[in-house]
Amino acid sequence: MAGSADIMRFAAMGTRVELHRFGDGADAALAAARRAIEAVDDALTIHRPSPATAMNEALLAGRTAALEDELLFRAVEAAADGHAATEGLFDVAADLRTGTDWSMVTFDHAARRIAAERPIALDFGGLGKGFALDRASAALREAGVGSALLTAGESSIAVIGEHPLGGLWPFSIPHPEQPDVELLAVELCDQALSISATIGAGTRAPERAAIVHSRLGAAVTLPACAVSVEPNATLAEIMSTALLVADQQAAARLLRDRVGRRFRFDLRLATEHSRKCA
Amino acid sequence: MSDQAFDLTRRSFLDRVLMATAGAGVAAAAPWAVSAANAASAAPMMPATGDRVRLGVIGTGDRGRALIRNIAKSRNCTVAAICDNFAPHLAKGREIVGASVPAFADHRAMLDARGIDALVIATPLNQHARHATDGFDAGLHVWCEKAMARTISDCGAMITKSRAANKVLQIGHQRMFHPTYLNALKRVKAGEIGEITQVRASWHRNNSWRRPVPAGTDDRHINWRLYRESSAGLMTELATHQLQVGNWFLDAVPTRVIGSGSICFWKDGREVYDHVALIYEYSGGRKFIYTSLLNNARYGCEEQIQGSKGTIEPELGRIYAEVPPKVLALQRMHQDVARGSKRTVPIGGATWFPELPVTTPGESLGWGEYDETMLQFEGFGEAVRSGKPLPGLLAQAYRASVASLLGEQAMDRGEAMTWPTSLVEV
Repeated sequence: MAGSADIMRFAAMGTRVELHRFGDGADAALAAARRAIEAVDDALTIHRPSPATAMNEALLAGRTAALEDELLFRAVEAAADGHAATEGLFDVAADLRTGTDWSMVTFDHAARRIAAERPIALDFGGLGKGFALDRASAALREAGVGSALLTAGESSIAVIGEHPLGGLWPFSIPHPEQPDVELLAVELCDQALSISATIGAGTRAPERAAIVHSRLGAAVTLPACAVSVEPNATLAEIMSTALLVADQQAAARLLRDRVGRRFRFDLRLATEHSRKCA
Repeated sequence: MSDQAFDLTRRSFLDRVLMATAGAGVAAAAPWAVSAANAASAAPMMPATGDRVRLGVIGTGDRGRALIRNIAKSRNCTVAAICDNFAPHLAKGREIVGASVPAFADHRAMLDARGIDALVIATPLNQHARHATDGFDAGLHVWCEKAMARTISDCGAMITKSRAANKVLQIGHQRMFHPTYLNALKRVKAGEIGEITQVRASWHRNNSWRRPVPAGTDDRHINWRLYRESSAGLMTELATHQLQVGNWFLDAVPTRVIGSGSICFWKDGREVYDHVALIYEYSGGRKFIYTSLLNNARYGCEEQIQGSKGTIEPELGRIYAEVPPKVLALQRMHQDVARGSKRTVPIGGATWFPELPVTTPGESLGWGEYDETMLQFEGFGEAVRSGKPLPGLLAQAYRASVASLLGEQAMDRGEAMTWPTSLVEV
């Protein structure tokens, strides 16, 4: 049920996924990458019974949850690392309705257990997409693929190796609501790119959760767009979300670490002639 | 068609059935088809006439004559007698079977004459139970057209009677033997369309469903499908097939049904609805949504088996993956690479799209050139010979008939009807 020999398109992680393979690599590589993404979807989805929903049911009932599923454990581990790396800006436990956040969670890495002091449900959201792309990238590399592009929606992208014609993969990122206005041009090689925005068609999707500032206990409402280029897609998702949530000072700290690789745009100011990069 | 060509076609049909039922989980979900196809494959190419199961056909109207033609294609059954109380129909039946086959105007006379091993019933619905009972009482096995009977209690009584007589009762549901449906089941069991949460089915026609009444008979005899005494109309004559498919692919029976029926277009004195719309609920929130009407044929006859990863439309013989639309920028990138050109890829636009109907062509499920009704009769012939019914078939048929009649009750009463708890165990 795939497309042509070197492209595979399917729905997973609540969005459309495209896998483009170029050059060498086993014929079964794309199928293996798809299985990797679907396995992450099966583990992390909150829209049907899954290890993630079982964990959430336990946390909502005030019980400790054993993280027996390897993918769920790795995702929780990435969420914890992301929370630490962003000074708490990235938070899969943030929920405006209940006022909960990751500070109420106890994650015992060694024992592979998680508990919370209040009823809590984790929503991996974008992290799940990045995590899935990383697993798929690993599957492609293992199958000998040296050049590939993977997307989960148009906001989560990973590339393997160089562009099939050599050199870097060139991308341009448009204004979320003005497609003719370019916010940024970036080039990638063996990297991942994540784009987060508070406006645009993507934010109007049904069941789309607001991006929440857990410390302020409020949704981020200013029109803004954040872009992060990182060594892997999980980190890219974490950082683009954190950049969108961050205040000026916190954003400056995150941007300082990766000049030219992380960006935040105030879309009140961004037009064709005036681009602002915080 | 020559005998050799016929054998090749038949062989290919059986091979397709066996290939489909070899899939993981399919044999357990369609044991009747495995049993029938295995028996048919093992049968001699041309058994002697005396070795065939002798069938007496009651009812030689359109459907009865179609069955006679299909019985003729089977290798282990033969029509040994026919019967119809309407002379023009009986005459048409005789044209097919020839003058050497005894013909009767009264089914009791056919039973009394002996010379048959089993009864094939293709009479109006309200006569099925009586004819089946008479057949069992005469020591015969019974093959009966769907739906089983006019009432739920009569459906159960037919089963009880067959058990008491220790005779086979088989109901005609040809989709259960169709390679396309079996292939569809195979692909469902392989997980290709994900978890099935809904089956949407329709049987839409644009004709009155009314037949001209020849001299010497009356409207209620010829147009029995239009009168409540003899039929539940669209529910028993059409929906039964699709309810069987729904139960089969959802692997359950409904928990309850709600529905609305009306005589909306053909206000010609008929008593049965010409428009029906029903929702059958299954465990876990799953649904079978059904409509049938007689004044618009645009959407015809179809079952849309809908899962989280795809859709199967067996009447069209197609399977469709839930493939999202292409990212145009990436499509262009691919074309650029093929041309040796490298351009910047604009990305990061909308990730959500208007949810218009998908018009992708899908993939073929594979068609059978052969009439699956033949396999029904070969399976029935084997069941008669062995005295053992094809496994699982009667349960499917019974539940489909009950579902169709329960739907009629829901529409008549204007209230939800729960699945009966007093059904016969089968």
